[in-house]
Amino acid sequence: MPDQNDNTITHAPMTRRRFLQFGAAVGATAAATTALGPVASATARRGPSTSSGKSLNVICEAGGSLELTPIAALFKKMTGNTVNLIELPYNGLYNRAYSEMSTGSVTFDILAGDAIWIPTFAPGLVPINSFFTPAVRSDYFPATLQEAQYKGSYYGIPQWTNVEILYYRKDLFESTTEQKNFKAKYGYDLAPPVTWQQFTDAAEFFTRGPALYGTDVKADVETEYLATVLQAGSPGVVLANNGSIIIDNAQHLAALEFYSGLNNKLRVAPPGAAEVGWAQAQTFFYDGRTAMTRFWGHLYRQIPSSSKVYGKVGVAPMISGPAGVAGIPGPYYLSIPKASANGALALEFLNFCYEHGQLSANTGLGLVSRISQFKAYENKPGFNAYKPMLETLNAAQTKTRPTSPQWQQIVNEVLVPMLQKSIGSNVNYAAVLAGGKANLEKILNQI
Amino acid sequence: MVAIETNQPTLVSTRLPVARRRRRRQLQDKQYALLLMLPAAVVLAVLVGWPLVELVKDSLYSGGLLTGQHFAGLSNYRTALSSGEVQASAGRTGLYALIVLPVELIAGFAMALLFKALGDRARVLRTVFIYPLLIAPLVAGLLWQFMLAANYGILNQLLASVGILHNDNSILWLGDPTIALLAVAIPDIWLTTSFVTLVLFAGLQALPSDVYEAAKIDGAGPWQTFYRITVPLLRPVIAVVLVIRLVDAMSAFAVILIETQGGPQQASTTMGLEIYNTFITYGNTGLAAAISVLFMAAMMLIAFIALKTIWRPGGAAR
Repeated sequence: MPDQNDNTITHAPMTRRRFLQFGAAVGATAAATTALGPVASATARRGPSTSSGKSLNVICEAGGSLELTPIAALFKKMTGNTVNLIELPYNGLYNRAYSEMSTGSVTFDILAGDAIWIPTFAPGLVPINSFFTPAVRSDYFPATLQEAQYKGSYYGIPQWTNVEILYYRKDLFESTTEQKNFKAKYGYDLAPPVTWQQFTDAAEFFTRGPALYGTDVKADVETEYLATVLQAGSPGVVLANNGSIIIDNAQHLAALEFYSGLNNKLRVAPPGAAEVGWAQAQTFFYDGRTAMTRFWGHLYRQIPSSSKVYGKVGVAPMISGPAGVAGIPGPYYLSIPKASANGALALEFLNFCYEHGQLSANTGLGLVSRISQFKAYENKPGFNAYKPMLETLNAAQTKTRPTSPQWQQIVNEVLVPMLQKSIGSNVNYAAVLAGGKANLEKILNQI
Repeated sequence: MVAIETNQPTLVSTRLPVARRRRRRQLQDKQYALLLMLPAAVVLAVLVGWPLVELVKDSLYSGGLLTGQHFAGLSNYRTALSSGEVQASAGRTGLYALIVLPVELIAGFAMALLFKALGDRARVLRTVFIYPLLIAPLVAGLLWQFMLAANYGILNQLLASVGILHNDNSILWLGDPTIALLAVAIPDIWLTTSFVTLVLFAGLQALPSDVYEAAKIDGAGPWQTFYRITVPLLRPVIAVVLVIRLVDAMSAFAVILIETQGGPQQASTTMGLEIYNTFITYGNTGLAAAISVLFMAAMMLIAFIALKTIWRPGGAAR
């Protein structure tokens, strides 16, 4: 009989059966873990529920999280309900929202998403027409209201409204030497450009080799080109209101000649335009490699103190073409999925965001959505971008992108490849647009 | 004699029950083993079999997940087979595999032979050479994006500084559609050549030394030894490496997504990205499923042909 106090451990050789039994136990444990894993992670994803009140899950981008943080804190203070902000990258946010809403089982109560997603997600979102009273509607830009709708119903309240404006280097534009040289060359005073011609002149003037270019040409993103199309006087971009294809009209052609011509003919932009998107253009400007950039309104408050251009940046409305100033609004919306279990509380939070949206102005992104909120801050220090944004958003030619569930496909398979094709020497712009039209027809004929 | 007589019945009486017990134990062990395999088989059926059935089922339906789906028969297959985008993506996928596979195989084989020739002296080198294998494709994609990017890319700056390039933007690796596919293949080659080396080196280690000694006695030179002995004996290992890498290369996704997102002008959109965009970005579940089924069938066929053609274990002896 073995002594119970005997500390000696006897290692019996493991028989094959014991080994198999051990394997079976490990396998069963692994299988159980695999099976229970999703449940556990789903619980974790939903976030902790509060004991004092309910909890809401909001999925958003990093910028959306910045904007909502002060509002969520005030909501918690005033109602006792917690708002969990779940940050995801742009593509990840779309994928999660789409996949969860498709299955009818969602782990979020509010989606803070891009305007172009509304037509795609509309079947899975709660219509919120009652929210948009005449008083509410009068405080939003018409374009922002238009993009919130799909087939006559509203599916989101604007979280913020963004639009591209012109950024320029004040240290260059206000230099007396530069002003004297510019006037001697072009015959008029150097000032932030207003027209295409002035923009071209300034870009050409400040292009001095690899260290400094006049501006950038972004062929990896489409929005800036679409704004140029509106500046040229087109009644819309890519598709007319009646759904007909206008991608090859005279205004699209004039816009492409101007837009890509900055790179192809005048060479006033850093090389590699085909791979230049928002991030690269932002880096060029922060590094002092471009004298001007057309960029979204939020850039102004995001210029880091380590940047070469910090404290030297001026802002102006988006440049104007033959038809005047125009931009493409870039709003984000707060929407409620139909499958949310907290629909009533989510709607309460949306109302709260509408009432307290001005808190977002002082965040890192620094954007608001209502006209009254823009006006309240436009003269405050640090909010210099608001006035040019207001002017651009209120311009008659500023219009939204077409409402189409296939818009993302049109962007990826038609617009961006078309822009990239327009970069190079001896480009036939009309042929590029004709090629874009053919691809667009294929996509539209798929349904 | 007495002893024998007395011992015989004892032997018989003990042998029979043991044999019976063995037979019973063997049978029971087989059943027991089958029983143990059952959970794995169930898990495989649930995690692999069931999704495959669902995939084929999805490919027969049209419409978005949010808007509702309807039975569409084989129309998604017809759309996939007639789509210029899908055909172009399939062509690019094949070309991508044709770029990466020979480079990886030749470089991997050369390194494996070098390691074998160096013996223990290559221990540190072997360890260093394995490192890229430990890097996630996503990280490698980011790393190479920074190296190849226009205006800021380290590679062009290095080439320009040593006078190979006229300036640091002479080659637009990720912006020129004619070389974008080659540019996204570079990280793949960098990441997986070490895998090819590792497997081939293991195969080389297992080759019988007496064959080499005999060849040496017969006066075979290094090239003859390599061509007549090493390659034929290593044929099954090469076949396995090729098939694994072929399937892997044709499913390339993460590195390309990070580096170019399939651009410029969709010049680096391979089948993986095509399926991802069709399903996730455009929400066309049925078409994405049909493309996936066709792609899977094509990969299985290619892998089968590759194994049939290259493997032939013992073929050299015949």
